[in-house]
Amino acid sequence: MTAHNGATGEAVDVNDPHLTRFDIVKEGLRRDDIEIITYESQFHGPNSKAEKRVVRNISFLFLLSGLFTLAFLVFYIVWPWEFELGHTMSDYYTPLLGVSLGLGLLALGFAILAWAKKLLPHELSIQQRHGEPSSDDERLITGQTMMFVGDELGVQRRPLLKGAIALGAAPLGLAVGAPLVGGLIQNPHKDKHPIMYTTGFHPSKLGEEAEKAGKKVRLTREDGSPIRPDDVSAGGQMTVYPGIPHGATNHYADSPTLLIHLRADDAAETRANAEADKNGRNKGSMYGNYVAYSKICTHAGCPASLYEQQTNRLLCPCHQSQFLITDNAQPVFGPATRRLPMLPLTVDEEGYFVAAEDYRDVVGPDFWERP
Amino acid sequence: MTSDTPARRRARVFSRRRGAPSRARRRLGAAVRMIAALALAGGVYTAFAPGAFAEDTVQLSAVAQEGKALYDTSCITCHGRDGQGVEGRGPSLIGVGSASVEFQVGTGRMPMTRQEAQAEQKPPQFDDAQTEQLAQYVQELGGGPELPEGPLVEDIKTNPDALARGGELFRVNCTSCHGFGGGGGALSSGKFAPGLHDATAEQLYAAMLTGPQNMPVFGDNQLTPDQKKQIITYIQLQLQQEKDPGGLFNLGRYGPSTEGMAIFLVGITLLVFTSLWIAGKS
Amino acid sequence: MKRRKMDLAEAPKTFAKGVDDRFQAATPLRGLLNKVFPDHWSFLLGEIALFSFIVLLLSGVFLTLFFDPSMKEVPYDGSYLALRGTMMSAAYESSLNLSFEVRGGLFMRQMHHWAALLFMASIIVHMARVFFTGAFRKPREINWVIGVLLFLLGFFAGFTGYSLPDDGLSGTGLRIASAIMLTLPVIGTWLSAAIFGGEFPGELIIGRFYIAHVLLIPGILLALIAAHLGIVFKQKHTQWPGPLRTNENVVGERMFPRYAMKQGGFFMAVFGVIALMAGMFQINPIWLFGPYRAAEVSSASQPDFYVMFMDGLVRLMPNWQIYIPFGDGYSIPPMFWPAVVGLGALFTLPMAYPWLEARKLKDKRSHHLLERPRDNPERVGIGMMSLTFFVVATLSGANDVIADKFHISLNAMTWAGRIGLLILPPLAYYISVRICLGLQQHDRQVLAHGVETGIIKRLPNGQFVEVHQPLGPVDDHGHPIPLEYAGWVVPKKMNRLGALAPAIKGFFYPVEKPAEIPVSPAVGGPVKREEIKSGR
Repeated sequence: MTAHNGATGEAVDVNDPHLTRFDIVKEGLRRDDIEIITYESQFHGPNSKAEKRVVRNISFLFLLSGLFTLAFLVFYIVWPWEFELGHTMSDYYTPLLGVSLGLGLLALGFAILAWAKKLLPHELSIQQRHGEPSSDDERLITGQTMMFVGDELGVQRRPLLKGAIALGAAPLGLAVGAPLVGGLIQNPHKDKHPIMYTTGFHPSKLGEEAEKAGKKVRLTREDGSPIRPDDVSAGGQMTVYPGIPHGATNHYADSPTLLIHLRADDAAETRANAEADKNGRNKGSMYGNYVAYSKICTHAGCPASLYEQQTNRLLCPCHQSQFLITDNAQPVFGPATRRLPMLPLTVDEEGYFVAAEDYRDVVGPDFWERP
Repeated sequence: MTSDTPARRRARVFSRRRGAPSRARRRLGAAVRMIAALALAGGVYTAFAPGAFAEDTVQLSAVAQEGKALYDTSCITCHGRDGQGVEGRGPSLIGVGSASVEFQVGTGRMPMTRQEAQAEQKPPQFDDAQTEQLAQYVQELGGGPELPEGPLVEDIKTNPDALARGGELFRVNCTSCHGFGGGGGALSSGKFAPGLHDATAEQLYAAMLTGPQNMPVFGDNQLTPDQKKQIITYIQLQLQQEKDPGGLFNLGRYGPSTEGMAIFLVGITLLVFTSLWIAGKS
Repeated sequence: MKRRKMDLAEAPKTFAKGVDDRFQAATPLRGLLNKVFPDHWSFLLGEIALFSFIVLLLSGVFLTLFFDPSMKEVPYDGSYLALRGTMMSAAYESSLNLSFEVRGGLFMRQMHHWAALLFMASIIVHMARVFFTGAFRKPREINWVIGVLLFLLGFFAGFTGYSLPDDGLSGTGLRIASAIMLTLPVIGTWLSAAIFGGEFPGELIIGRFYIAHVLLIPGILLALIAAHLGIVFKQKHTQWPGPLRTNENVVGERMFPRYAMKQGGFFMAVFGVIALMAGMFQINPIWLFGPYRAAEVSSASQPDFYVMFMDGLVRLMPNWQIYIPFGDGYSIPPMFWPAVVGLGALFTLPMAYPWLEARKLKDKRSHHLLERPRDNPERVGIGMMSLTFFVVATLSGANDVIADKFHISLNAMTWAGRIGLLILPPLAYYISVRICLGLQQHDRQVLAHGVETGIIKRLPNGQFVEVHQPLGPVDDHGHPIPLEYAGWVVPKKMNRLGALAPAIKGFFYPVEKPAEIPVSPAVGGPVKREEIKSGR
């Protein structure tokens, strides 16, 4: 065999029949530039009491592992596992699986670890790192070889080829990328009533004819039933949805609205503030002591629905923005900047709540184009 | 019944004024104005709320008499005579109904020990019978919502849908404050929605009906009595039962926050100790 | 017959010969068997991440067999009574079914989730180890960058996985993710529309996240983990300074059998701990969350812990919105700063750190010996500062739970987080630098004067002095000759120097009888220990 770089010590003839197996291993280590400094048994002499004890413990761990794993299999097959209401045996199915498998694996792991740690001889080996960089010659040769590849292709010398490759390959690259990107692109502003600015309370959602006839979208419960003013008690709130097909589903994720029946004095304050609204968007939006705010937080879009009926605050559970109901739902704490939009409320001829028109402010979390 | 008529009140005010003759002149104008205001208020009150006065003459039921005795020793300081309320201390109890009393007194929130952001739940001071007496008294004072008769929990053997319906209603109306697991949650500035784990059906029903503290009111037109019972069924059968198929410990059902704590306190800790043992010198 | 028997005994030899004829495997294989690894407990932290990743792959494959990544609305008809008849997406339905209708399915789901948390937690701990010991220095900068990328990918793998069941909590998370996309200037609405296929939530997102979660992200993770390990293998592991250890060698034990056995055993232990946790602790009880509805939310809505720092930063951000008053008016919402800029900075700054530090110290050498944290106070300070920032942000991500459970005002928690985020990191920097300097000084002191023995000696002039045990040779006056600091642990207690009798092995009774203390017949009692000479 060829001599290895940096190998130290005397080489031995591995075919020498007098060599022990360990001698040959050491020769291998020498060739890999490794030196064993210490290699000694952890026990005093063969078959010492301590060794027997360790072997016993490790065997016990292996057996324990088998036992637990077996228990896992038995539990897996035999234990009733189907979910039922009330306290049943099946409540313990997952815990039993976890405990039996976990202990089985831990016992196996510690058996192997104890074997490696307690039974194998102590060893201290040193290997040379050889982390030094390649020699300057090597670097030069590799660099020149790479340059030569360029020479062979001769693109530098043949400008026509260069231009042709650029013009020929670039479109191909774009053609590969285009469908990946192009397929995903959706124009969020394309509709007549763009999705970012329209909710389910827009009359157009009722269909063209109904819109022309001046019909308005009702406020409904989750099951689609319309709501009369006296359905909500003073100091109460109700989550309402647009009364259109699929109005209460995630198709209209921006539409859920909080209909609040304020106590008389709070309502008076709210009305005064809404009428004095700076940009006038909340003017005339209340109906009696009722006010409706978008449930979708203007910060990150979570439902800001923790209604505190005495302090008249709405709290968003995601980032703790707090909005003051009596003051146009202006944010009074937390990271939200904009107030919750107010839905203009009125009552139709049958006495049910309808949205006088869609939200006048944009609903939902803020974005770049939002004016 | 020792009724506190405007006339007597007036007399008392006047006699107190006399005790300070040097100020009497200066305050004469104020006293006259007050007398006029009180007379006007009394008059308006008489005109608009004949019921309240009618009750003065109507005898309270025997149970309510007992309740009044309790009221006059424990509640009157803050809620005033006959539940009229005291400005800055306690609201009027006219019209809050017996359901409210059942909740507030039954959960120990009332009587309050001190004024704070929110009345804390504590061991009730009155037993069930006394609570009922108080409730009856407040009910007879000015009416208001009452707990219905009969069981407040649906029997899911006869009505198997109740549980799932209740769950849906719970998630729409209740989870935002009380949490998916019913463990409660924080509200603004130190207020909080309490956990639901030890609430009785009566307390749950009363809370929905009356909207105690900052909880919104869920009147019978919004959540029908049946729907309220479905919600109670869900809370009692699903949330209050320690039914957690996923393990012996549910980590309070708080979701990721306690799970994140567990992975460091249990998982990482165990494994760091294991690696210490592996690499340790024997 | 006899011939056949011969063949059987010779089979391994023949096989090995055949392999080497074809692949010339003997020499490289010997090199592999003989490779030396250093041994220290802190070198095993990265393995926790590796092994939990294997558990993630195994349990994840199981879950894919039952999961349906569709958002089609279906009524639930499973055994979980409290949702029966509820309309939900097929994704949520199949998640429920694999929890309740598949034997052992819930256990597998919980294993998957706990393994994910352990993966991320161990990456953080491993990263801290690498940072504080300076293991990222040349030539290992690239591996440090790969490590940071692994955390980032784990972050996205975790978030997509959190979203897949389409339950109430994951829908809330998706909603926030879409809001974060919307905050991007100019392209925000377009990006959100592209990813969700129109308006939030649309009907595509679960399918898209599914392919990202089971193919794209794990594929890249796998490739990066392979590169990470390959580089460790090629560059050989760092080691602590100490006797025999130099910058040019590796002192430890050979890969086979001891090191490999330790790795195998540790894998079983990691697997076991995950299984134990999956059985003992309920995680992500999706059946309580209900299907995602845009109008429903729960108090204490949080992401998994490794995303919580971002949620915390979003919570703490003041409501500063930038309005750009031209055209119809444009705006940059406050969430843009913590969620987009902050997240970007939190990943790019650590990636650049190895080069920044090398540049500052003008250090171009290769380092294979680790540095004790105390020997580089500046680095420890920066590390503790970042860690404190991370912890404050993470705790703020759960500030509503903390407020509720410890009866603190929610608003006060937010303010505490805001102030803490600004004040605590510099404080942590200062304190940890001071501690490092103090430890350094104490090391030097012990090297110069010796170990405190606890023995007080009274001098003839009445003065009391503590006797010090010198660590090295003493000069003619009995004063220790100061030793050079070698970058490794300085013994500071007498029993580190062997002053105590060796411990007796065995738990309840001694395994081997302790060696008899030699008795000197002349004195008739134990030999007195040699008097400790004064080190002063």
